Amino acid sequence: MDQELLMKQIVEQVMNAMSKGVPAPAAPGGRMTAANYPLAEKESGKIKTPTGKPFSSLSYEKVLSGELTADDMRISPETLEYQAQVAESVNREAFAGNLRRAAELIAVPDDRLLEIYNALRPYRSTKQELLDIANELDQKYGAKTAAGLVREAAQVYEQRDRLKKF
Amino acid sequence: MKSKRFEALAARPVNQDGYVQEWPEVGLIAMNSPFDPKPSIKIENGRVVEMDGKRRADFDMLDTFIADHAIRLDNAEKAMSIDSLEIARKIVDINVSRDEILDITLSVTPAKLTEIVGKLTIVEIMMGMTKMRARLMPANQCHVTNVKDNPVQIAADAAEAAVRGFAEMETTVGIARYAPFNAMALFVGAQAGRPGIMTQCALEEATELQLGMRGFTTYAETISVYGTEPVFMDGDDTPYSKAFLASCYASRGLKMRFTSGTGSEVQMGYAEGKSMLYLEARCLAVTKGAGVQGTQNGSVSCVGVPAGVPGGIRAIAAENLIAMLLDLESTTSNDQTFTHSDLRRVARSVPQLFSGTDYICSGYSATPNYDNMFAGSNWDADDYDDWNIIQRDMRIDGGLQPVKEDDVIKARNKAARALQGMFRELGLPPITDEEVEAATYARGSEDMPDRNVNEDLKAIEDMMARKVTGVDFVKALDRAGFPDVAQNIYNMLRQKVAGDYLHTASIFDKDFHVYSGVNAPNDYHGPMTGYQLSEERWEQIKNIPNAIRPEDI
Repeated sequence: MDQELLMKQIVEQVMNAMSKGVPAPAAPGGRMTAANYPLAEKESGKIKTPTGKPFSSLSYEKVLSGELTADDMRISPETLEYQAQVAESVNREAFAGNLRRAAELIAVPDDRLLEIYNALRPYRSTKQELLDIANELDQKYGAKTAAGLVREAAQVYEQRDRLKKF
Repeated sequence: MKSKRFEALAARPVNQDGYVQEWPEVGLIAMNSPFDPKPSIKIENGRVVEMDGKRRADFDMLDTFIADHAIRLDNAEKAMSIDSLEIARKIVDINVSRDEILDITLSVTPAKLTEIVGKLTIVEIMMGMTKMRARLMPANQCHVTNVKDNPVQIAADAAEAAVRGFAEMETTVGIARYAPFNAMALFVGAQAGRPGIMTQCALEEATELQLGMRGFTTYAETISVYGTEPVFMDGDDTPYSKAFLASCYASRGLKMRFTSGTGSEVQMGYAEGKSMLYLEARCLAVTKGAGVQGTQNGSVSCVGVPAGVPGGIRAIAAENLIAMLLDLESTTSNDQTFTHSDLRRVARSVPQLFSGTDYICSGYSATPNYDNMFAGSNWDADDYDDWNIIQRDMRIDGGLQPVKEDDVIKARNKAARALQGMFRELGLPPITDEEVEAATYARGSEDMPDRNVNEDLKAIEDMMARKVTGVDFVKALDRAGFPDVAQNIYNMLRQKVAGDYLHTASIFDKDFHVYSGVNAPNDYHGPMTGYQLSEERWEQIKNIPNAIRPEDI
């Protein structure tokens, strides 16, 4: 986006604030709202990598020196939860739900995640195989809502005859 | 005797296009089919027991998913009871806000959404788009591909497209195994042209996710959903697998949107006798229910089907509007070629270009059409000046701007050299100075020397086995003497840690400041509100290099 659009945005924000009062502060209990967004600029002290490094400590030089690796350049469950709260503050509950499901899946390794996705495709799995995946998500990774989605799929696939054929 | 007038007309490009009469029984009807279900909803104990005339026992997989996930139930019975004509009138009423409309439209069924937009003329649909798109300012997306999968050309074309104004870029492959090179060339080229551009590589679902996980791409779009269960199965997915996939992307800090469009079901033979628009409304409800932030829709690669039936191009605009009524990022197609007629292809894009959408094209071909590997685009690199002058004629922001030849040549050259350096540092097959020179001045792949494809493919296999990631691109570019490009790549990777750009309709400016439906919401409510061209932006758009200046006469 160009500089002039940025300026326009700032002016509009000021004018909006003048007509509607100041933007809502973060909700009590530390919940994030649109007022905290973008988090990279306004809440960089609260964001951490999944490896526990503060967002504000990330730097180009540390990538060059090897102090930061690809494992550090990922999103953490806490950050996704913050983003889900931002989404809820602008009435995007469905999107917030997706971000929460995603937060649970961070712990699942890349290869396993791809296997589970493929297992959810039509005619790939028996009902028991899907239920086993749901239990794995639930028990091994604490991914409760993701497990719920897989259980739901198992039931619907059975009703619609989309389970693995023998 | 034969009429000479008719002979001339028969030779016109428009008469080389295919047309078909409506045939509602097989779904060859754009919208308002007599076989479309009547809107209805019944809720018992917080559960939908009837939707659009079907009892729960008769639900197919899509109905079940939509009923369980896509509709806000607390307000549903009230919203469904409002007359569709009244809702349609609210959409064009400047005194009814976007939020008030969403309160209704997020609580209704696919048949109701179809009925509402069916009451609108094309101009009213455009008024609806102006008010309902998620982001304040419109933007544009391009395709960057070539028939040779030449990475140097991809980098150069991406850099030029960046200078021209695109906020997002998409590539794909001729040879599937070339995907990693195409993705990294696009990433580097875009960031060399203008910091903050998001890039993607369209591939089979699981492969596409893998490249994203590796940091070769920053978002994904080609996650297709379909409007009937048999077509969904043919697409080798279900609403549940796609919803899971959506979360996989977000779990890796990657933005993503689904893709759907009118005509796909009838093209694949299972339209179940419903109108194209009704089936698309189901796709969009699945998208909403999966919790995805946005959609690429507007018939997309099936455009030939709605374009062949009466009212089909209106239906494409109507499906874009439905996406907006579901508060989804609206990335409005205007991509695949569908007509021989230049007049028709402009008219097809008028609703999205004049109203402004989150991404007007998805995408505009940043190459000549012969290099477009998405089966051609409605707009291509040879049309850049036409697009710019239409913006100037109509005083609209279509996301692009006129450019100077020198600036474009510099950007292309820098991108090609940056990729050359990165390839060298990563131990990949060399990019020669001859290739850099060719890419700097090329119009398309006909101007590019051939690469050793076998050697490239072997190197790709080796690179993927070595687990090279986006972090390695940063280091390699720095070592190669392109620290500014390396910084931009680093900044894109860093954004994945914060996740701000996961939100609805996000774009980045050159300083990596994000604009989305959260901090730059569309607040249009009548003349002189919403997005207004700033004087500076208007100067940029109107100052084409070939306009005569009065002081020179």
